[in-house]
Amino acid sequence: MVHFTAEEKAAVVSLWAKVNVELVGGEVLGRLLVVYPWTQRFFDNFGNLSSESAIMGNPKVKAHGKKVLTSFGNAVKHMDDLKDTFAELSELHCDKMHVDPENFKLLGNMILIVLATHFSKEFTPQVQAAWQKLTTAVANALAHRYH
Amino acid sequence: MLSAQERAHVAQVWDLIAGHEAAFGAELLLRLFTVYPSTKTYFKHLGVCPDEAQLLTHGQRVLEAVGVAVQHTDHLRAALSPLADLHAQVLRVDPANFPQLIQCFHVMLASHLQGEFTVQMQAAWDKFLTEVAVVLTEKYR
Repeated sequence: MVHFTAEEKAAVVSLWAKVNVELVGGEVLGRLLVVYPWTQRFFDNFGNLSSESAIMGNPKVKAHGKKVLTSFGNAVKHMDDLKDTFAELSELHCDKMHVDPENFKLLGNMILIVLATHFSKEFTPQVQAAWQKLTTAVANALAHRYH
Repeated sequence: MLSAQERAHVAQVWDLIAGHEAAFGAELLLRLFTVYPSTKTYFKHLGVCPDEAQLLTHGQRVLEAVGVAVQHTDHLRAALSPLADLHAQVLRVDPANFPQLIQCFHVMLASHLQGEFTVQMQAAWDKFLTEVAVVLTEKYR
């Protein structure tokens, strides 16, 4: 179990309270699909992903991004219990979606970059470290039930 | 290989850094050491808690090298050959660390440029820095 200090929890929770999940979720997934185009392999039925503007404006990308980031909000609420919180999702990503866990790391990194664009100087090295710890822990929790 | 448009984006990003290599370099290293503490193992000479002066000095060195890479995106191997030798023979930084440095670079740029750090800039810069990392570790074996 990953241990988060009181400071790390505070850094995560206070920033999360200010996050527009719909907006940020869409940006995160959009950037993932543009910067790492091979991740598009999981989204064949998303329609037009042919250009950067098509991806960033794609309504399915925005909707799915919101869904993913909403789920991430669950992580913020259960930082002490991530493996159990994501057990079911882990099995789903393995058995149904066949997603290489490497992608969880890529998405986690993208969350941090988008948060940095929104929060600017507030996204200090310490805040970045707390968030990095969380995204890494979530990635591990999502990979935990793979077999 | 960077397209013309990607090279333009890389140059655009560099325009913001040029002249401020020390400050950006220091912030880059501070983020790296804070977020990925194991990277400090490569900087024993800077001590457990590097001070600002040390970060500025070393940060400048790192960013000036990035600047050289920016000027020579068409022939990175030739331009970075001495640095590649240094990394292979002396520094021997495990290649797994470069993505961590690159991530910190993106976060730093994102926090400074905010919305101006467009997805195309991020994509081009990521591709460019990844190529630099490949060149720097290519002579390892």
